[in-house]
Amino acid sequence: MAGDPSQPSADWTRLLIRNTLLWIAPVALVWYLLTPLYNRMLLRTAQSLLHLGEHPVVTDLYPKDNHDAYIARRDLPKRLLPGGAFRVTDLHFHFLLLGALFLGVPAVSWRDRLGNLGWAALATACFDVLLVVAYVEFFYATQMGSWSTAHYGAFARNFYGLGKHLLDLPFKLALPLVLWAAFYLPRMLAEVRPAAHPPATR
Amino acid sequence: MARKHGTPPKVPSRPPAPPAAGPSFWQRNRRELTFLVLFVVLLGGSFSLIALNWVNDHAVEPFTAAVARLSGATLNFFGQHVVMRGTVIQGHRFAVNIRNGCNGIEAMLIFLSAVLAFPASWKSKLLGLALGTAAIQVVNLVRVIALYLTGVYFPKLFDASHTVIWQSLVILVGVLLWIYWANRFASRREPAT
Repeated sequence: MAGDPSQPSADWTRLLIRNTLLWIAPVALVWYLLTPLYNRMLLRTAQSLLHLGEHPVVTDLYPKDNHDAYIARRDLPKRLLPGGAFRVTDLHFHFLLLGALFLGVPAVSWRDRLGNLGWAALATACFDVLLVVAYVEFFYATQMGSWSTAHYGAFARNFYGLGKHLLDLPFKLALPLVLWAAFYLPRMLAEVRPAAHPPATR
Repeated sequence: MARKHGTPPKVPSRPPAPPAAGPSFWQRNRRELTFLVLFVVLLGGSFSLIALNWVNDHAVEPFTAAVARLSGATLNFFGQHVVMRGTVIQGHRFAVNIRNGCNGIEAMLIFLSAVLAFPASWKSKLLGLALGTAAIQVVNLVRVIALYLTGVYFPKLFDASHTVIWQSLVILVGVLLWIYWANRFASRREPAT
């Protein structure tokens, strides 16, 4: 990006949008290939986290093929809970946006791009573990009929219901934007005020 | 005037001045942190609002039904012969029920929260909100129509297309629209406040 100093932000934006759209397909391919491995890691970590709050330990998360999982409780006669299957892959497709946005930023070295993407991916993985935990707690608190009402009060049911709603929709979908803004908003704000900062060059 | 040689004149001693303190982390990143906190608060607040039963029944459901009617009318325009019942679009071979997550409201609220949280003039914000939400709804209309046609002609691809592909694309459009707005409109019209 060079030349007319009054136009740097337009060029930067155009490059960012173009690069992001170009990165979507390769990122989707990598995400699809890594998903079975990531799902198992996610289930194992979330199960360990759930066990920290259980005395005695009762929850098991079983993978079912490459994309789904079952919730099971050791203290109930039917260990595999009816309706307790969920699609793990649907919890983390925000990696598509994350990868495309972070790899599409223009005028940043590959080393910085990949480094920032690595930190953002780590934060996203932590979020995904929390999302699985929230999903299981939401299921226990609201989806098991009389068992739920016997073991969870009204406040807990609302807390887990709203928590799952917020984590599963707005924060899951907006997480890539939040992380991108955390890393690149200063650069974007600099581009917004071209007179005060030198324009990006690529 | 000549200075007498001998003992040097006494200079009143002062403690060394402390090194000039730079701006704090907050001062350096005030605009970025304000944006992030405001964005998360607006996002959480707006999604909590639409989770209320009253808001869902009186605003979200009618809006979703309007999306279904518009999508159904467009499908009929292209010769699909569908009927609409509330939020359901029913054809001879396939039916879709448009629910939360498929009405574009999520992408609109993410876009709205990002625009409102960004340091820009209210005029720019209102312009961005009007154009951005309209653009997101156009993309969402394309999504509903494409999903219906996928269900009719490529049913095996419907699930992945529904959850992963189109949801990602609609959110991506919202994010890119915000970035475009922040760089073009927010910077050109008036300086950021």
